[in-house]
Amino acid sequence: MTDDRDDRQSDAPADLSRERETFVRQFLRRGFEITETVISENQELRDTLERFREENGRLRAQLASNDAIRDLIRKIEELEVERRALSIRSEELAESSRESEQRSMAVEAELHDLANLYIAATHLHSTLSLKGVVKHLAELLQQLVGAERFAIYVSDPDGKMARSIYAEGMDAPDVIVGEAPTGLVMAMRVPKIEDTPHPAGSLDAPVATVPMLVRDVCVGAITILSVFAQKERWAGVDREFLALLGSHGGTALMAASLQADRSAELHGPGKSNTYDPLDALRNIHEHLARFRDAG
Amino acid sequence: MSDYSCLVVEDSPMMRQLIVFALARVKRIQITEAEDGVDALRKLASTKYDLILTDINMPVMDGLKLVKRIRADANHAQTPIIVITTEGSTEDRQRAMALGANAYITKPIQAPQVIQKVKELLKLP
Repeated sequence: MTDDRDDRQSDAPADLSRERETFVRQFLRRGFEITETVISENQELRDTLERFREENGRLRAQLASNDAIRDLIRKIEELEVERRALSIRSEELAESSRESEQRSMAVEAELHDLANLYIAATHLHSTLSLKGVVKHLAELLQQLVGAERFAIYVSDPDGKMARSIYAEGMDAPDVIVGEAPTGLVMAMRVPKIEDTPHPAGSLDAPVATVPMLVRDVCVGAITILSVFAQKERWAGVDREFLALLGSHGGTALMAASLQADRSAELHGPGKSNTYDPLDALRNIHEHLARFRDAG
Repeated sequence: MSDYSCLVVEDSPMMRQLIVFALARVKRIQITEAEDGVDALRKLASTKYDLILTDINMPVMDGLKLVKRIRADANHAQTPIIVITTEGSTEDRQRAMALGANAYITKPIQAPQVIQKVKELLKLP
């Protein structure tokens, strides 16, 4: 085959055109290829850019979401602290409420005790009948204190002996003042009450002995040998009750006895249980005037 | 305005006063007093009560007879009855319950105990 260049020298214008054409074609092709490459790369870049944009958006969203989560977590922690504080406050209020309820119950119980004492004192002094006073004393001992076996003693005028004016469920022999147990309590003028009541007391060991006093003078005593089986312990108000009976019992008996003397004097011995309140107050003005004059 | 009426049967004025004072702490309750079983039956003949408290040891008619008569009355066959007494023996308690009493309280009474029983039987808070 012969070299075309040799042929070209003789066919220069035709070869040149062909070369030019070939060059242009190649140039155009190259340009086209380069353009396609550029376009392709551009597209890739666009795609990459788009991906970056999407990823950026996702990351931003995630970041925002993380912030939201952080905020929520912070809020949850704050609410948890608040919840704990409320829970503590609630417990404190519940405890306070329980204490208030207990105080209320204690006040109610004390109110009932005071009412019982008031009613007892009222009934004790509600009559000047000797029989009535003795009956009330016995009733108070049975119904309020729960005494089962007991006796009420009154001292003789010389203060050396005491004799029973009422006895329930027991023999009540005379008592020598100063001799234990009842006589010793009368001499000392101080009550003696066992720590725990029980149904098995005796004359030598009563569960309670209380002196009856009028202006520090012992006029008698109440001796309780035993209490009812269902009374397992002294009630909180029992000692106050017994003290009341000791202080008011003697006075009530004394007043009733004086009235009985007066009635017997006015109406005869058989009518010593009757009394007229207006008659009893008949000389009150003279007595008061005399006291005033005496200063 | 009271919602509940209560009859207290007790021969001792002092004990009646104590029981009435205790019951007065229960809201919505009106109290009527009777001196003994006969007085109680008289009052029961004319009034329907929601609750009856009765002592056992009473003159004229004792509490156990009263409970029996109350249960025989159609108007009060179901009325709650509380028996109050000094007797603590099981036998007395059983007799009272067998005759139809609903509750049994022994003396010396404690006011909170009475109030609790009353509230239980009247279904009060």
